[in-house]
Amino acid sequence: MVNHREEASRLYREYGPAVYRRCLRLLRDREMARDATQEVFVRLVRDMGKLGDRDQVLPWIYRVATNHCLNLRRNAARHGEEALPPDLELDSPAPSATFPDRRLAQQVLSRFDRTTQAVAVGVFVDGMEHEEVASVLGISRRTVSRRLGRFLENARKYLARADS
Amino acid sequence: MTGACPSDLKLEFHLLDPASSGLANHLAGCPSCRERLERMAGEGEEFRRFVYPATVDAVVRAVRRRGTLRWLPALVPLAAAAGLAFFFWPSPPSDYLGVKGDGLGLVVYMAGPDGARPVGDRESVPAAAALRFQVHPVLPCRLWIVSVDAAGQVSRLFPATGEGGARVDRPSALPGGAVLDGRRGPERIYAVCSPQPLSYQALEGLCRAAAAGGEEAVRRAGGLPGLPSGAAQASLLLEKQP
Repeated sequence: MVNHREEASRLYREYGPAVYRRCLRLLRDREMARDATQEVFVRLVRDMGKLGDRDQVLPWIYRVATNHCLNLRRNAARHGEEALPPDLELDSPAPSATFPDRRLAQQVLSRFDRTTQAVAVGVFVDGMEHEEVASVLGISRRTVSRRLGRFLENARKYLARADS
Repeated sequence: MTGACPSDLKLEFHLLDPASSGLANHLAGCPSCRERLERMAGEGEEFRRFVYPATVDAVVRAVRRRGTLRWLPALVPLAAAAGLAFFFWPSPPSDYLGVKGDGLGLVVYMAGPDGARPVGDRESVPAAAALRFQVHPVLPCRLWIVSVDAAGQVSRLFPATGEGGARVDRPSALPGGAVLDGRRGPERIYAVCSPQPLSYQALEGLCRAAAAGGEEAVRRAGGLPGLPSGAAQASLLLEKQP
């Protein structure tokens, strides 16, 4: 016999580690990652009926946890909080990302909208191919390329202004 | 090395289902990806050991409060399910072997399909069983609950944070709990109640020394030598079975 509490606990045991890893990767703060994990998991249970197997659940976790954690980072930056480490830990170079590009990404990420941030994080932090980012975020590959191009272009402008 | 290095997301798939991830060949030839995978597995272990026990109650409450369980199989009427606690605290039977030690009793409960039940010493349990603890100190003391496995891995089960041990002065069902790591083999749980604060580092060293020597050593190490004078202890051995 399955009761609701046990089922929620079972799901939390199964998918909680993936949520926690994602949050820890982006927040780099264990306490904040723990809190964010709970928030994201409750949303996961809410949406579970629309998701099928883990082929859909894991990308959902990736997308929602990324958005949630980027929001936390953005809010912390807006409020001038120092609790979060300022830099995301970047992945080993992705095929499409040179070191200066990745450096740019790290410095100016918080100035962009949520989708563009998620695209940039997917490529520069997680080392994903454009196609994988597109699949996870539910947007086209063309949109990924366009957002990424705009991100790099504006980031360079931003840094040029900052340098002058 | 085979192909480009997989993303974190692909490694997540691998952690959930290594057999069908298609990454085995790449991982075999890529030390860097194996290192990433080990880091991720370590973070998962951290979740299971510390985050899950500390947060599962709050998460389940939040899920219920937000009415997010509609999709779950309605095998139990909601009103009845609401009254079922994941850990109901039944009294252990009179011949229960888990209550041991002079000056300190320890009861270990394991979650099961029909609620929680006390676990006996040397009992075989599922390798990923969820546990909670009840202690019965004779005198007020500073309490630690720790465990050690055959690899010498010492885990801090209670209190999750702080130093010196948690103050207890009466029989208590402890908040939080622990989830076993899913690996086969013996895991010995110690409850230690010291009249004075006892550092975790010192306790960890004693556990590691007591259990040095693999599985049989863990099975034999029923008591921790070297505890401070006046400290009481109780111990229970679990045999984790996949």
